[in-house]
Amino acid sequence: MGAPVLSRRARVAAGPGTRAHRRPSRRRRRDHLVGLLLVAPALVYFLVFLLYPALSALYYSFTDWNLRTDASWVGLANYADLLFDDVTYPHFWKSVRVTLQYTLLAVPLTLVTALAQALLLNTIRRGANLFRLLLFLPVVTAEAAVGAIWRWLYDPQYGLINALLGLAGIPGQNWLNTPELVIPALAFIAAWQCGISMIIYLAGLKGIPGAIREAAVIDGAGPWQRFWRVTFPMLRPTTFYLLVTGVIAALQVFGLVYVIFSGNGRSVTGGPEQSGLTYVLHLYLFAFRYDAMGAACAMSFILLVFIVIVTALQFRFVKQEAS
Amino acid sequence: MRKWPVYVALVLLAAVSVVPFLWMLATSVKHGPDIYTKVPSLLPLDRKTGAWSATLDNYRYVLDVGGLGRAFLNSVWVCAVLVPAKLLVDALAAYAFARIPFPGRDKLFVVMLSGMMVPAITLLVPRIHVTQALGMFDSGWGLIVPNIASVLDIFLLRQFFLSIPGELEEAALIDGAGRMQIFWRIVLPLSKPVLAVVTITSFLFHWNDLVWPLVVTNDPELYTLPLALQQLVASPDGGRAYYIMAGATLAVLPVIAVLLVFQRRILQGIAFTGLKG
Repeated sequence: MGAPVLSRRARVAAGPGTRAHRRPSRRRRRDHLVGLLLVAPALVYFLVFLLYPALSALYYSFTDWNLRTDASWVGLANYADLLFDDVTYPHFWKSVRVTLQYTLLAVPLTLVTALAQALLLNTIRRGANLFRLLLFLPVVTAEAAVGAIWRWLYDPQYGLINALLGLAGIPGQNWLNTPELVIPALAFIAAWQCGISMIIYLAGLKGIPGAIREAAVIDGAGPWQRFWRVTFPMLRPTTFYLLVTGVIAALQVFGLVYVIFSGNGRSVTGGPEQSGLTYVLHLYLFAFRYDAMGAACAMSFILLVFIVIVTALQFRFVKQEAS
Repeated sequence: MRKWPVYVALVLLAAVSVVPFLWMLATSVKHGPDIYTKVPSLLPLDRKTGAWSATLDNYRYVLDVGGLGRAFLNSVWVCAVLVPAKLLVDALAAYAFARIPFPGRDKLFVVMLSGMMVPAITLLVPRIHVTQALGMFDSGWGLIVPNIASVLDIFLLRQFFLSIPGELEEAALIDGAGRMQIFWRIVLPLSKPVLAVVTITSFLFHWNDLVWPLVVTNDPELYTLPLALQQLVASPDGGRAYYIMAGATLAVLPVIAVLLVFQRRILQGIAFTGLKG
């Protein structure tokens, strides 16, 4: 991508005969001005809504603060209280467990579904576009609508899910009101929305040279062997990318859970027995319901550090696998 | 290899993905009592006689009493202002980063890119604080200004601008054209594919966004569609699925229309951008 620029620079640097060298310095000064002017709005946005918030979040995480009063410095107290004081923050560790369970279930389920869909799509020609479109539909849907739709699908009495299970002779469940079933129910929704991963897997599959597949066929490898010995290893970079981004997203799941447990004060507790109280829902409640902005900032930095560690571990693991 | 098992599997998977929408649509046009049947129906049928019995009353109710009419217009308004304004801010910056030499340009770009690594949730609380300090909290501006640029979009646009042959612009420069003229007359017309991808993904993101409107508005007059839908779910009407599904349909239909029209661009774009604005 950078090639044209490099070659142009190379030409400019090539010597005194080029036009660029004779370009009057007035033009260069004007370029400086125009360049800065064009970048200015984005730069202001970056400073005001990205850099400053990031730095102030770190500062406020060491303070006792709500939006109406000045922040007072409390050092590491927020962090210590979150981690060790289960009177002030009785559900902090519960929210960590809920989020980890959700991540460990939702991410693999999403990737397996996406890969299966992509493999199937990759073997057909006729109708492939239509199927791809239909499978992609859940992704572009607003999480507010997704939450609303699935509350109704999971309805214990009149919901479609229980009706379908009934056809198979499986007794209906009260999905969103049974603590043990909340995480599986949420993970299923995540897999339902696996379209982006499916598209990226499909791009990865298209990138595998046909010659490799043909060679495997000639060597007498069956479809199963071809998948495990050729296709899956060739898709490793794609899987890794989806795994890392999927984990980062799953650790921050919020909007969907917020909608699912809206009403009857349930969003305040995150579902039955806090079984759907994800980390970011917990953070949101402390920031915007209990007015503990400083603690919420500390929570966001604990999450940031955790994400960095998990991502680094994943990179390391993959490196070892490769060597 | 036989193809029919593949098609059977795909039909099943496609059904899982589409049937919830069909059920949403069916529920939204049913008369209230008709949704409470032992065997759920994907068609709006009378629960006693089994005859066709569709209504638009649920839509009338949520648009008017439920406040979704106003919220729909708010969402249209926010997207109509925000998406083009954001595209302009991002494209101007991306063009300067790609083509106009100024001191410290590449360092500045790297610093801005590093901002992408900070999770959105970390920025949420202090962003509200900044929005409040600027006097934009709980106002239309608060829905727009804090989202007025996207580092990811600047990155994507810059990458595309870099791939346009520089000779075109150099020739124009020699003919005495200014940078802005080149940007409008040469660069933008050549960049339609990437402009389309950025516009569509940004529309999808802001049309669907729940979290920012949730934290930046208190006044129901300002609610966007996803937020108003969430509020409806949380209200006593939340148990009345025929209302909720009418609301969900209002949120989903425009997006499905955009997907149908721009499917090729969206699916191509997704392959390298993801969907987050």
